[in-house]
Formats: sequence, C-alpha cells, structure tokens
Amino acid sequence: MSEPSAVLQIRGLTRRFGGLTAVDRFDVDVNSGEIVSLVGPNGAGKTTVFNLISGVLRPTTGSIRLNGRELVGEPAHRITRHGVARTFQNIRVFPQLTVRENILLGTHHWTRSGMLGSVTFWPPTTRAERAAQAEVETAIDLFRERLEPRLEDPAFALSYANRRRTEIARALAARPKLLLLDEPAAGMNPYERLEMAGLIRSMRDRGLTIFLIEHHMPLVMEISDRVIVMDHGVKIAEGLPKEVRGNPRVIEAYLGRRAATA
Amino acid sequence: MSASPQSVAAIESPHQLKRFWESGPAAWNKALTSPRAMIPFFLVAFAVPLVLQWVEDNSSWIGAQYWTLILATCAMYACLAVALNLVVGYAGLLNLGFIAFFGIGSYAYALVASDQIHQRYPFWAALLVVIAVTLAFALLVGVPALRLRGDYLAIVTLGFGLIMRDLILDLDRPPVLAGHQLGPDGLNITGGTNGIHNVEPFNLPMNLPILGPVPHFRMYYWIFVGFLALCIFCMLRWRNSRTGRAWVAIRDDELAARAMGVNTFKYRLLAFSVSAVMAGIVGMINAAQIFNAFPSPNFDVQTTVVVFIMVILGGLGSLPGAILGAIAFTVPPFVLQQFVFYKYLVISLVLVAVMIYRPEGLLGTVSIRPRQTMGGTLELITAEAAVEASELPAVTDAEAADLEAAAGAIVEDPEWKT
Repeated sequence: MSEPSAVLQIRGLTRRFGGLTAVDRFDVDVNSGEIVSLVGPNGAGKTTVFNLISGVLRPTTGSIRLNGRELVGEPAHRITRHGVARTFQNIRVFPQLTVRENILLGTHHWTRSGMLGSVTFWPPTTRAERAAQAEVETAIDLFRERLEPRLEDPAFALSYANRRRTEIARALAARPKLLLLDEPAAGMNPYERLEMAGLIRSMRDRGLTIFLIEHHMPLVMEISDRVIVMDHGVKIAEGLPKEVRGNPRVIEAYLGRRAATA
Repeated sequence: MSASPQSVAAIESPHQLKRFWESGPAAWNKALTSPRAMIPFFLVAFAVPLVLQWVEDNSSWIGAQYWTLILATCAMYACLAVALNLVVGYAGLLNLGFIAFFGIGSYAYALVASDQIHQRYPFWAALLVVIAVTLAFALLVGVPALRLRGDYLAIVTLGFGLIMRDLILDLDRPPVLAGHQLGPDGLNITGGTNGIHNVEPFNLPMNLPILGPVPHFRMYYWIFVGFLALCIFCMLRWRNSRTGRAWVAIRDDELAARAMGVNTFKYRLLAFSVSAVMAGIVGMINAAQIFNAFPSPNFDVQTTVVVFIMVILGGLGSLPGAILGAIAFTVPPFVLQQFVFYKYLVISLVLVAVMIYRPEGLLGTVSIRPRQTMGGTLELITAEAAVEASELPAVTDAEAADLEAAAGAIVEDPEWKT
C-alpha cells in the first residue's frame, strides 16, 4: 500500500489517555495532491489524530512519516518546518495581532531575521521582512475581497468566517506540503460553506495535499477524493465517498444499529 | 512597517480630533509611537532642563536642579517600565523578580568602578561586564523557570528576587558553605546593608560644544532620556518584526504559535533576557549617577511592584503607556510632598478608579488574567474577546445543527440508497 507518492504515511498510530484509547492502531496514507476527509461521530478521535500529526500530542506508539521523514518525537515547531500546517477546530487566530500580522506568523519558520538585524536595518533582515510581506499577498489571494479590506484590523474584531479565512491564510503562508484542516466549514452558512468547498479545491489545484476533518457530509462527499471513517479511535471504513456512505458500519456508527439494518 | 495611512494622518480639524478620540487605544498607540509624535517628544524632553535653568537664571525661582533630578528619576523609571513592558506586555511572562536585574546591573558596575574590589574599568569594558553579568543571571533563572507552566514562573522569579536581595546583604563577609569558608577573612564584596560607595561616574566630556559645561545632574538626565529613546526605538523595531510578532503570538495563543513553527521556549527566553539586560544597563547608569549601589531600593520587591503599577496603569503592551505610567507615578508624589499623609491615599484612589473604569490601563488594549490552560504566559483579554466567549455556545449549537443535518443526509439523501 506504500506508494512512492504518499506525502503522509501513518502506521499503527495509538494514543492512550489513561484507560481511554483515543486513537487505536490507526493507519492512513495521504497521497500527493489528494483531498482526504476524516469523518466520524463526536469523540471518535479525529482531532486527536491531527494533534498527533502536528506534534501537539505525542503518540503512545506508531509512526508518522512525511515524505519518508519520521515526525514522531519532533517538537511541534519543527514539524511545521518540515511542511505540515494546520488550522484548529475552535479557531485559534492571535486576537491582538492584525490580520496581516497573523498571516505573517505563517512565514515565521521560513524567514530568518533576528533582533539585532531589525534594529540595525541589516539588509538581509529587511529583505526577509519584505519577502514575508510579499507572501501575505500570495496567501490572501484566495480570500482577496474578504480579507484585503481587513488586513490592518486586529483579529478579535473579525467575523467568525473571516477568522477562519485568516487562519487558513496563515497556514498557507507557512508554505506547507500537507495542510490539515480541522472542520473548516463549522459554523458557516450554506453560502460560505459553498465558498469553502471551492476554496479547498483551488488549494489542491495549487499543488497542496489536504487532509481534513469535516462534519458536513454533503461537503465531504463533494470535495473528497477519499473518505476515512473513524469511530472510537478505530478506522472503520476507507474508500471513495460513494463506497463509504453505503457502508453499514458507517451508518451504524452515526445512527445506531437499527438504522443500519433498516 | 505596516502603518496604515489614516491613523498617522495629520490631525488638523476638531472633527478629526474627535474621530481620533473615538478610534480607541490601539489607534492612539499607533499615532503616539509614530516618528511624528516620538521625535518632538524626545526633543522637548531634551530641552526641559535647559528651560528650567533659563527660568531659574531669569527669575527668583530656584529648583532647576531639584526638578531635573525628579525628571531623571522619572526617565529612569520609564526605561524600567519599557523593559518590563517587553517581558510582561509583549511576551506575557509574569516576571516578579524584574527589579533584581536592575540591582545586579548597578552592583556589577559598582564593583568594576570603585575601590570595593579595586577595579576601575573604562566605560565600554564596564558596560560589557554589566551586560554579561545580567545576561548570565537572566539565563540562570530563565532556562529552568521558563519551562514552568502558569503562575509558577511568577513564584520562581519572585523567589529569585528575594534570594538576590539576601545574597547582596550577606556578601559583605566571606560565604560559608558546609563549614568551609570561601575566600579570605575580611572579604567584602557587596558592602552588605551599606552598599558600595564612591562609585566612579562615567568618564564623559562635561564640556559640550554649544551647550557649554554640563552639570552632573543634567548630564545623567540626558543619559536616561537617551537610553529611553534607544529602548523605545528597539521596541518599535522589534514589535514590527518577526521577533515581536512571535512574542505577541505566544502571549495570545501559545499552542497556535507553536503550530506555526515558533520555538516558544527560545522566544520567551529572548524576551526575558533582553528585558533583564535593559534593566541591568539602567541600574548601571543609576549607580554612576548617584555614585553608589544600594541594596534597598535596588532589590526591593516594592520597587518591582512600583514598576508593575506603571506598566499596568499605562496599559500592558503600550510604550507611550509605560512612559505615561512612569510620569504619573513619579512626579505626583513630589508635587504632593506637603500632604505627606494623604499622598498615598490620593494615589491609591486614582489607581482603584483606573482599575474599575479602565482595567486595561490608560492606553492599553488588553487586560490581564492568569491563563487557565497552558503556558507560563499570562492571558491578556480584550473586552471584545470576552463578548466572543459568550457567543461560543451559539457556535456549538450551529455545529450541532450541522451534525444533525449531516446525519439526516445519510438517511434522507436518495442517492445514499444506491
């Protein structure tokens, strides 16, 4: 199953919290240029998987490889440097920073500029800052009419949907190889959700590999190349959207046994 | 870097002034820290003692020296407030041992510029010693303490401050460790409660071109103002650079900062030690100004509290606020000197009123609250953010509705049965 084009390769990933096994021997491959969705009922362990990939949590056992490089054991900030960027389920923009500064944070790990450089107007530092500012323009390209007027506003003053967009733009500015989106369409109205679907597709078309958690089934069915269903920490189904939604185990996980056999 | 044109635009009509007033503290800070405001401020600050001297020379009023000294104290506290603002306001680290670094700086200079241990270094060598010593102490405390979570950092730094005070008081005799005396009899490093006397002032030309001979008190006022200008310049450059953004990001949301590739430990240590070195240099100037290094105000917890009050009164994270806080807390006690018994009452009432009506400080945008989840950092909240928190249930409701819709789609969508 290990194709050479797998960007993300997870094997036997397990995480226990005391007696609870939040993620249990989870395997997945995400190939380059794919949109893979991770779905499952609340508490299935989806966000834990994301936290394990991005280094927020350490796995109990298992291996996570990004383009063949082992990520387990690396601190979170170094994992970002290797090319994983993420967004959070409960949006985590920096409220006191402006939208522009939030997006500039995404450029943090690939720009080099120190404290001495910035007070002495050291040319390489100035160049790095200019490159970072230019990246903001690239990162908001997909959200231009939404975010451009708000660039100098502090993030706490933004609407819910604009905070999501800022968070995604921030992740894009990190120039990731793999983008983890944790419920990007949560709390959005149908129109904004449609926009989000288009957005995710256009990010993929720009060469990104996308792994997302989403609850909104029609959105998942529409945009995913593959769907993985989790329940109680275990992968219960994997396949094309069409295959997965007919799977009785999936229906059982969501609606109980009676609905599955009816 | 990214100054928006409207906030720095000229304020010419009363209408614009009103709009400026209504634009809120974030915009005030931006306007007050622009070069258009800062350069005139420092020019005025530079000229004030000359004006005082002129008034004294041309009237029966005497007090130019007295008021210049008060303003020098004020400038010194402004420097300390700006340095503390870096560690508390930007990086959100509650450093309660802050003033110990001021004391360490003053003692480090006093030791290499007096007869205490018979060392008299030239200015630049002494400056290097002060920087190296304060940095060493900052790393000694910072490296273990900045890995701590939550309020423990405050406890450790407070303990460090108290230990340093006791150490300075006791090092007038050779230390005894496990029954062994370290060093010869009569070894006196810090002078105990007396402090170190006859510290040499900086070897500066006291006869300047144009200005003529400059008296000691005015020279040190200018040194403090100059150092304040340097600190403010550095702060503004850092705040609008990769480093400053990383500090504020760690303060706002440490987890998200880490997920964006910020090495949080490194940046917290940077903020902690840079602020300590700044305080150390202020201590060095102070020792040269008063020819002494004393244990009492230099290491007192009260002095930390005073600087904290200045920063919080002015507004966390706001540089003009830190200067304003220093002025508001050093000048009134001298003005109210004749009402000895009432001056602290008046000051306390003012502080209480500020905390009730503007908990985020005069020019600040955030108020302070200990972080519940993770960190070693303080959570700084905005009024707007507090409103957002109350909106959260609505969001989860929407998510729940989404989920129901999703579940509904599984059974109702006719395509599902194929």
